[in-house]
Order: sequence, then structure tokens, then C-alpha cells
Amino acid sequence: MSQEHEHGLPPKSSVSRWFLTTNHKDIGVLYLITALFFLVFGGVLALLFRLELISSGADLLGSMGYNQAVSTHGLLMVFWFISPFAFGFANYIVPLQIGADDLAFPRLNALSYWLYLFSGILMGVSFFQGTTFAGGWTMYAPLNTPAYIPGEGLGATSVVLALIMFTAAVTLGSVNFLTTMYRMRAEGLRMRDIPIFSLSINLTVWMMLFAFAALLAALMILASDHILGTTYFQYSIDGTTMATDADNPGASLLWAHLFWFFGHPEVYIVFFPALGVMAECFQTFTGRRLVGRKWFIISMVLVALQSFVVWMHHMFLTGINLPIKTIFMATTIGISLPFDLMVFSLIYTMAKGRVRFTTPFLFSLGALILFIIGGITGVFLGAIVLDYQFRGTYWVVAHFHYVMVAGATALFGGLYYWYPKITGKMYNETLGKIQFGVYFLGFNLLYFPMFIAWETPRRVFVYPDGLQIWHSMATAGGFILGASFLIMFYNLFMSLWRGEDVGPNPWEYATSAEWAVSSPPPLENFPGVPSYATGKLEFLDDETVTERTERAPGAAAHGHAATDGGTATDGGAVTARAAATATAMEPAHETAGEEHASHASFWPFLVSLGGFIAFLGLSGVRTGSVFYLSLAAVGGVATFGSLVGMTREPFHAPEMAIAERWPFERVEKMKLGMWTFLASDIVLFGAFIGSYAFVRVAYGWTAWHHDLIPAEHVTMPGLINTYLLLTSSFLVVLAMVAAERESKRGTVAALVGTFALGVGFLINKGLEWQHLFHISTEAFPNGWGLSTNIASSTFYLTTGLHGAHVTIGLIICAYMTIRAWNGAYQGDDRAIEYFGLYWHFVDIVWLFLFPLFYIL
Amino acid sequence: MAVSLITYATVVFPLHGGDVRAPSAVFDQIFEVFLLLGTAVGVVVVAYTMYHALKYRDDGAGTDPYADKVERPEMGEMPTGGAGGRKVFYSFSISAIIVVSLIAWTYSQLLYIEQGPDLAQEEALEIDVEGYRFGWDFVYPNGHTTNTLYVPQDRVVRLQVTATDVFHNFGIPELRVKTDAVPGQYTSAWFTANETGTYAAKCYELCGSGHSLMTTDVVVMPQDEYEEWYAETNETDAGGNETATAAETDQRITAEATALGGAPA
Ligand code: HEM
Ligand SMILES: [Cu+2]
Ligand SMILES: [Cu+2]
Repeated sequence: MSQEHEHGLPPKSSVSRWFLTTNHKDIGVLYLITALFFLVFGGVLALLFRLELISSGADLLGSMGYNQAVSTHGLLMVFWFISPFAFGFANYIVPLQIGADDLAFPRLNALSYWLYLFSGILMGVSFFQGTTFAGGWTMYAPLNTPAYIPGEGLGATSVVLALIMFTAAVTLGSVNFLTTMYRMRAEGLRMRDIPIFSLSINLTVWMMLFAFAALLAALMILASDHILGTTYFQYSIDGTTMATDADNPGASLLWAHLFWFFGHPEVYIVFFPALGVMAECFQTFTGRRLVGRKWFIISMVLVALQSFVVWMHHMFLTGINLPIKTIFMATTIGISLPFDLMVFSLIYTMAKGRVRFTTPFLFSLGALILFIIGGITGVFLGAIVLDYQFRGTYWVVAHFHYVMVAGATALFGGLYYWYPKITGKMYNETLGKIQFGVYFLGFNLLYFPMFIAWETPRRVFVYPDGLQIWHSMATAGGFILGASFLIMFYNLFMSLWRGEDVGPNPWEYATSAEWAVSSPPPLENFPGVPSYATGKLEFLDDETVTERTERAPGAAAHGHAATDGGTATDGGAVTARAAATATAMEPAHETAGEEHASHASFWPFLVSLGGFIAFLGLSGVRTGSVFYLSLAAVGGVATFGSLVGMTREPFHAPEMAIAERWPFERVEKMKLGMWTFLASDIVLFGAFIGSYAFVRVAYGWTAWHHDLIPAEHVTMPGLINTYLLLTSSFLVVLAMVAAERESKRGTVAALVGTFALGVGFLINKGLEWQHLFHISTEAFPNGWGLSTNIASSTFYLTTGLHGAHVTIGLIICAYMTIRAWNGAYQGDDRAIEYFGLYWHFVDIVWLFLFPLFYIL
Repeated sequence: MAVSLITYATVVFPLHGGDVRAPSAVFDQIFEVFLLLGTAVGVVVVAYTMYHALKYRDDGAGTDPYADKVERPEMGEMPTGGAGGRKVFYSFSISAIIVVSLIAWTYSQLLYIEQGPDLAQEEALEIDVEGYRFGWDFVYPNGHTTNTLYVPQDRVVRLQVTATDVFHNFGIPELRVKTDAVPGQYTSAWFTANETGTYAAKCYELCGSGHSLMTTDVVVMPQDEYEEWYAETNETDAGGNETATAAETDQRITAEATALGGAPA
């Protein structure tokens, strides 16, 4: 019976539901629980090395043990705990707040989650492969390359691969959230009108989309150094030459730039959702609207933009020149100012309020106070003369824990705030307050002494005796902080049974839509179609919806170009019929008019499991071990097979009948998803090309050509490939035209032509590479392979990444050819258009690579 | 002989380092000002926050003392901003002025630290520093190489720092000098020490198992003693370099680590 009701989803009590579900609320819960698990994992590691630090010396963990604990603690907390924890809330709450019934691509959402979980498992497995990664969470080069990793170094490779998997999850998630927020807002809800938590998530995912693409580039290069033997981050000198005469003088700084270009936006990626939670809790528990909301939002937008131009403040000591230092000092101070404004906005929101000191408010207020301290100490670091001395010391450690863990503090407040919504039960308020007390005490006892003992270099276990008292105090604080979580877990777990039942809204003055529905909300979220058209939340019944959509002028054909400024527009509304057929992303072979959305798919889990096995295998293939090789093969096949399965599975995720879609009224969700994805891909390639330019300039732009590239590396193969790709792009356009004209033969022929040209491109490339691998000249007696020098590494890896894009395109093209043969796409060329977007993009990338790697 | 050499050295190269404002003095001054103002701002803002939180605390009686003055948010309303934006703006402006003027003030000091004291170039003592896992080589102008840094008191010392394997960071905390040791390039830093004695130099960038123990001594000597020492390195240069090989350093590190209870891998 309940099967029927939940549209193919087993009940929540059944284990299988949690493997199958694609519903945003279920996935939100999965994220929250998994993230809390990684909090405990990272926390236990921290307690271990805090124990080590009670006194100077490494008598507990040993020096490598200490380095591993410190490094994995940082990675786990930053990647596997804090952002996923925030995204647990984002998953659960954002669709409810903006009036959507789910995310735009529910299966991709499930896929994000499973990739995240399995990436964490891979991280865990790395501990059992000898040693895990021990080079700090910032993973500086060349300490992060196999040459400097003790033993076989497989654990470290696994960590790099785990991070890649994590990044994949993040990228899918960003695409999904952006598409959802721009295409599925309740009628009348302009972008600026969405509740502040959702807004903070919107800006977070924008930053994620670009920052993580840069990280992905760094990680892919690093993985290639580990597995394929390229030498981007490798540096060696033969003993006679020094410094700039070396074989790859840009190695170390290349990593630093790539990492911090990601790393600085990452700190706001971590903090923004927390800011959103704080603002929500402040509004609700003071009974006041956020003061200066507009400026608060503008501040966040400014920070999000500026976050990409401050990264070198982590590199003030690397010998960058004074003008650049000055610029980055200015941007750093510039980015701290909007935060001042946000802090004051929160403070004044309390004025004339009815401030109720509930647990969520206590955590939010505590977070604000901690953040003020963290922010002030950050300004110290922005003063370069001070930073010179603070760099690499506990001052930095104390500063970033005061800001980042302040963020975590707000998120714990969020956990209490939304707990009744998610579970339908009230937690125990007394225990909550006790936890806050213990937490706040433990936090300050742990991190404040670090300011006093700031002269301690970070990541060392030896410090002067005079500082022991502060380090012991910090260790005590760490255990108190840890203990506070036992209270929280006990409270939240017991309240599942003992907690009082709550109605839709347990908090006076809460306003956002998640509180307008029952706790927990039903699978479909709302009792009707949510609308703010009248300026207030209403739920429209089916009849009103049909009426309205039929009235919408020209909606079916053109959408509706409503401006963001208009009030209560029905902008972008499409007719119900169009909505039902516009299924996008999820393949188009459902019958039109099928009412119910799908909520279950096993494929995301299988794809991720396959990916996990493949990556685990990859971590060890360089040893030539049969075990690892077969894991990689099995995993690869499993991933591919499940991806095909997922594509062929009928899955229905209808577009909303009425929605606010500014500024993308005319861009279907599939196309918007493709656009956002390609935007991140541009950054990925941009980072690869930037890396190439960087190491080449460090080496000497012209000497590079002269010293490192064989005469056999000629222009011709590249030129031919340019023609092949350009022609194939043209054929995709023809395929679209043919499909529009309903010419099945034409469609198939053009697709086959595209495919053939793409294959020709790859064959040509293969021949070229074979030739270069095996040349034997005076300068390159052993051929010009991936590991020969830095120029060959950049050439093979960058054009190889492009080749991989071509290969993926060809797989999709083959699949579409078969479907076209069976009569698909006739009269509806959208799928071909989406593929075309991707294919043209790959084409354009080549137009950049060709001159860079063949001519200059 | 030795005495006349020293006299010669002192006469030809008058050593002015003592008049120079040391980086440590610059740091101490800025840090002090920041600590004072930072604490003041922190205390004021936190107190202000707590004042608001407590003043507008709900009395729990279910009554709303501001009922006639303000309109409370209602379920399902469109999010809008509350009143009081002007106060936010004023407070923000004050804080922005404090922050910007503080940083601007430090900028002139930064220029000083960047450019170094205005002495004729030849007066500074130039020493190359090479970091390696897990120790430091100090290369003097005459090619002599040591593992301990010997420098004269009251003299400007310029370091050219690099690394031969991974990223390190060379710092002498008490003298407030620090810079990255990046393989493949040189970075520079300068300092002057007004007091003789032995200081510690440390590595500030994680570089592997021996990182925690990658420390060495910096010996600041009276100028004449230094000149004497330096003159001798000149004479014995042929075979007398006291540098340890990497293997020896590893042994030292392992021994120290074992003494501390942890064996580096
Ligand atoms: C008030 C504005 C802030 C300023 C002016 C500021 C400034 C800085 C500077 C200059 C550094 C580099 C220190 C060094 O390594 O020498 C730094 C490090 C750091 N900051 Fe901030 N910061 C601010 C806010 C934040 C926020 C909001 C977060 C995160 C929530 C954050 C997280 C970090 C982290 C994680 C590091 C250390 C990275 C590492 O080396 O491992 N900061 N900050
Ligand atoms: Cu930063
Ligand atoms: Cu080190």
C-alpha cells in the first residue's frame, strides 16, 4: 500500500529505501548522517594528535603517524565533514524554501551523495594501504609526489583519487542546485526574494562550480603524476645546477597557485551556508526581519566574486613581487569589509526583538561571537608584515579554526533548528543548552590558547617547554569539545522516540515555506502548487494551475520574458502539457502526460560503487599488481555498465507547471544544466592551460621549445585534427536540422559522420603519439614519453584530457546514433542540441590547444 | 696576523647594522598596536552583541513589549529586510575606517621590510640558505658552507633562500625573519641581530617525517669574533667545510626522533 503511495519507494523503515531513494529530503538526511560520521572520524584523529601534543615530542604516534593524523584530520573536516553537512541542510531545505518539489535532477542528486560516501570510504581505505597521505591538507608539491612518500605510497594515491571522486560529487551537486534554483522557484519568488539560507547556498554553489574545477585540475594532474608518471609537480636537480636552472623550476609554486585559487573560495564555501543558517535563526528567534537584508545580500555577492582574487595572501612569503603583494593585501582587506557589514546586520537584527535563547539561537549567537574573534585575527594576517611572522604558525591555526569552526557552530545550531522539521519530534531543550555550554567552553579552551602559544610552528610535535601549559590546556579543551557531542548525539537519538510530536511550525516567527508544511513534509512537499503571486505563500489547487497556465500568453512556444523587477508575474510559466513533455536530462522516452514523478533508482548507487572499485584499483596499478589491475578493470566495466543502465532507465522528473525562472525562462533545465557544467569545464581546461603557461614561463618560454621538444613534434597531425573536429561540429548542426525536418535518414547519416570524424581524430592522435613515444634521436634517445620532461608531460596530459572529452562525446554520439536509427529525435531535436553544445565546446577547446601545443 | 686582518676589515667596511631598525622591532611595534586595537574592537563588538541579545531578551511571559512599535514577521510572507539599515551602515563605516587605516599604516613599514635598510649594498652580509630534508646549508660569500648559521652582531644579513628537494620555510622566530624555501627559485629576507647569543632557526613548512626536528642554531657573535671565525674559514676552506651529508642528517634526525619516542619512516 505504502509502496503505491510513495511512487515506488519502499517505506523509510526499510533499508532498501535508503539505497533507492532520489528524494531530496531522504538524501539530505543521508548527507547529514554521513557528514556527522566523518566529523567523528576527523575528530578522533584530532584528539589523537592533541594527546600527542600534551607534551613535546612524538611518543605516541611517531613522526609519520603524527603527520598522517594532522593531514587526514584537515582533509576530512574540510572536505568530508563541513560542506557535506551544510549540503545535508541544503538538500532538505532549499527545495522547500523555494517551493520546488525536488531538485531538478533527482538521480544526479543521489549520484552526488553516493559518490561522496564512496569517496569517504576510499579515504578510509587509504589508511590500510601502508601509510595514508601525510603532506598536510594543503598538499604542497613536491612533497605530494611519490618520490617523497614513504613506502609504495598507495595510500596517498588513494587519497588523491578520493578527492577527485569528491570533487565529481560537488560538481554534479553544483550543477543540480543552480539549475533547480533558477528554474524551479515558486511563482512570484524573484531570485532576491528567496529566503536567506537558500540564497547563501546559491552563492556557495556558484563558488563551488568554479573553485572545485580548479581543484579538480590540480588533483587530476597530481593523480597523473602518481599513476601515469608525468612530472608536473616533480622537481629534481643534478647537484651542479641550482634553483632556476633546474628541470622544472615552476613545480612547487604551480601547486600553490592552483591549490589556493581553489583554497580561498573554499573557506567561504565552507562559511556561507553557516552564515545563512545564522541569519535564519536570528530572524526566527528574535522575531525581527534581517536588518539591511539587501546590503547583506550584496555583501555576500561581493565576497563571492572577490573570493577568486585573494588567493595569493597564502603565498606572501613565496617571493612574489611588491606590486602583486600590495594588490592582494588590498583585496584581502577589501573582502573583510562586507563581513563587517553582515556582522552588524545580525547584531541590529536583535534590536526590538523578542530574543528567545533556544538551543539553535545559542549556537548562532555563539557562532557570531567566535566569528568576530576569528575575523579580527584574520585582519592581523592581512597586514603583510605580521603575516610574514604568523605564516606557518599556530596563529594561522587558531585564526582559521575560529572562523571555520564558528561556521560549524552555526551549522550545529541549524541541526537543532531543523531537527523538528526533519524528524517531526522536538529535541530536549535542556540537554541542548547544556551541550552548548560545554561546547562553547571546550571550543575556547581548545583554540584560544593557540593564539597565546602562537610561536609554535604548525604541524610539529616539538615545541618549547614554556608553551606546554597552553598546549595542555588546548588538549583538555579538545576533549571537552568532543564530549559535548556525546550529549548532542544522545539528545538527538533519544528524542526520536521520546521527543514531543511537533506540528508544521514549532518556532514562533518562522516565515519560510518549510515551516508551512507538516513535519516531516510529505514526499511531494506541498499540499498544492506553492505560489507567492499575491505576495504571500499560497498553495494553488490543480484547477487554478490549469486555468493560469492556459491563460499564460504564448507560454508554450516562447516562455515568457518576465523581468525580475515585475511583481507577481507568471513569468516563464509554461503550459502543463509542455511541462509534462519537457523531461530533459532524464531521457526522453517516457510517455507524455504521465503524472507521477519517479523517486527511486538503484543506478546512482551502482555507478558510485563501480567508481569506487575502479579508483581503488587505480591507486595500485603502478605496482603492476594483478589484484589492483583487475579491480580497476572490474570497476571500470561496472561504472560504464551502470551508467548505460541509468541512461536507459525510464525516470520521470517533470518540470514545474508554474515557476519563476528568471533569468532563464527560455533555457530548459537540461540545457541550463549543460551550460553550468560546461562553465565548470571551461575553468578545468583554463587551469590546465594556465598550468602549462606557468611551468613554461618558469622554465623560460623559448628555451622550453629548444630544450625539451623534439624536432619530430610537427604541426601536421594537429592541423589535420583541427579540420576533422571542425567538420564534425558542422555535421552535428546538420543532424539537428535533419531531426527538425523529421528526416530519419539524414539524422542518422549526420550522426554517423560526426562519429567517424571523431574516431578519425583519435586514430590520428594515436598515430602521432606512437611516433613520438618511440623516436630515437640524439636529444631524446629513449623516445618522448609522458615522463621524459615537463614539456612532454604538459603536452600529453592536456591534449589527453581533451582526447578523453572527445571519447566521451563519441560514446554519447554512438548511443544517439542507435536511438536515431530506431526513430528517436524526429521533430524534437533538443537532445541533439544538448550533445551539440558539448561537442562544439570540445571543438573550441581544441582551437586553443592546437596553437599552444603545436605552434607557439 | 689575525688581529691586523680584523682591524683591516673593520676599517675598510664600517659596520652600521647597529643603527638599523631591526625587523623584530618593526614587528613588535605593529603587533602591539594590532593587539591593543584588536582587543578593544573585539571587546566592544562582543559586548555590543551581548548587550543587544540580553536587552531584547524575551521575558517569557508571552507579551510583546514592542508590539505597538514593530511589526513581527508572519508565516509565509515574502522575505524582506527589517528597519535599522542606517545604524548598520554607520557601524560598518567605523569598522571599515579602523581596518583600512590600520592596514594603510602598516604599509610604509612593509616597504621598509621589503626594501631593507638604506645601506650601501656591499655592507650587507649575503648568505645563501639551502633547505633539504631535514637540515640547512648556509653558504658564505667565500663558498664556505656550514649547518649552523654564524652571523656578526649589528650587521645587516641578507639571506637568499632556496630548497633542493621539497618546499621548506626558513625562519628565525626571535629575530623575526622568515621566508619560503621553494625548490627552483630564490626568495630573500634580511635581518640584523643586536644581541649576541644562540637563537633557533626552524622549518615552517611541512616537509616530511623529520619536519618537526628540522631546527638548527643561529649563533650571533661580536663582530671581531665573527671576522676571526670568517677569516679562518677562508684559510681552511679547502677541506674544512663542516656540512653534514644528507645521510648524516638523517641519522641525526632518526637519533633525535628515537630519543623522543618516535621513529621517522
Ligand atoms: C575577516 C576576514 C579574513 C581575513 C582578512 C583572513 C585572512 C587570512 C590570511 C591572510 C590567511 C593566510 C595566513 C597565512 O597562512 O599566512 C588566512 C588563512 C586562513 N583563513 Fe582566513 N581570513 C578571513 C576570514 C576567513 C574565513 C571566513 C575563513 C573560513 C571560514 C577563513 C579560513 C582560513 C583558513 C582555513 C586559513 C588557513 C589555510 C591554511 O594555511 O591551512 N578565513 N586568512
Ligand atoms: Cu585565504
Ligand atoms: Cu619542514
